[in-house]
Amino acid sequence: MSGIGAAVVVAALVLTAVAAWWLRTRNGAVRATGGGGAVTGDAVFARLGVRPADADLTVVQFSTAFCGPCRATKARLQQLQTTRPGLAVVHVDAESHLDEVRELDVRRTPTLFYLDRDGQVIGRSSGAPRPDELTALVDAHAGAGT
Amino acid sequence: MTAAPRLVDVRGPRFAAWITAVVLAVSLVLGSGSLVAVQAVVFAVGAFAGLRYAPYGALFRVVVAPRLGPVREREPEAPPRFAQLVGLLFAVVGAAGYLLGAPVLGAVATGFALVAALLNAATGFCLGCELYLIARRALPARA
Repeated sequence: MSGIGAAVVVAALVLTAVAAWWLRTRNGAVRATGGGGAVTGDAVFARLGVRPADADLTVVQFSTAFCGPCRATKARLQQLQTTRPGLAVVHVDAESHLDEVRELDVRRTPTLFYLDRDGQVIGRSSGAPRPDELTALVDAHAGAGT
Repeated sequence: MTAAPRLVDVRGPRFAAWITAVVLAVSLVLGSGSLVAVQAVVFAVGAFAGLRYAPYGALFRVVVAPRLGPVREREPEAPPRFAQLVGLLFAVVGAAGYLLGAPVLGAVATGFALVAALLNAATGFCLGCELYLIARRALPARA
């Protein structure tokens, strides 16, 4: 029986509980950006081949090969695209665009950026977005067809 | 890497994470470096040979899966396999700490592996996978 070991087990359980709570509250939550004084991403997004003027809402998704939830998020966006013609989606492999990843401060995958027609970043989210929140955001900016 | 990704039943890695968490917790309570070393070998098999050969995954397929319903969801093997590699790094430091006379280092490193395993088991969140991009960002770009 190890005292240090038992203490570490207790600490690990507490840490896990805190991390799980944090993930539940923060994972995939859309944060409004803009006005924050951050560098505008226009040039960075242009380099990634994003053309926001072509759609009401452009979602840029950063993914990596070792990201489980990226797959589900990608499928979700594809599904939304079939019924919302105003929605454009751009997928970026984070690993092959590390400069842009650093400039946009992408730390996790999936990270999604939401751009309006003027190229303004209206929000970003890290972690798989909640399906209902994603749908609501898309509908607010790229209405559910006519 | 261009071949179609190998898919695994999503329930397999979750089951394996629970077993891993139990093994690591028992290792810590007993202060047993040898048990951490055994877990390191299990991680190494999953990371280098693939999840098909991973012992807990085999246990899942042979004993657990037949008692559950049919497979509802499959996922590519790469993320959980990468997580095994991250687990291996912590387990190696943990086992080395215990076996080379630095039990506090051993316990702390094993504790980090335990957090990752518990988090994965309880929520499906893959800590190793999340660290991948952070590690790649910190390293200089590769051609």
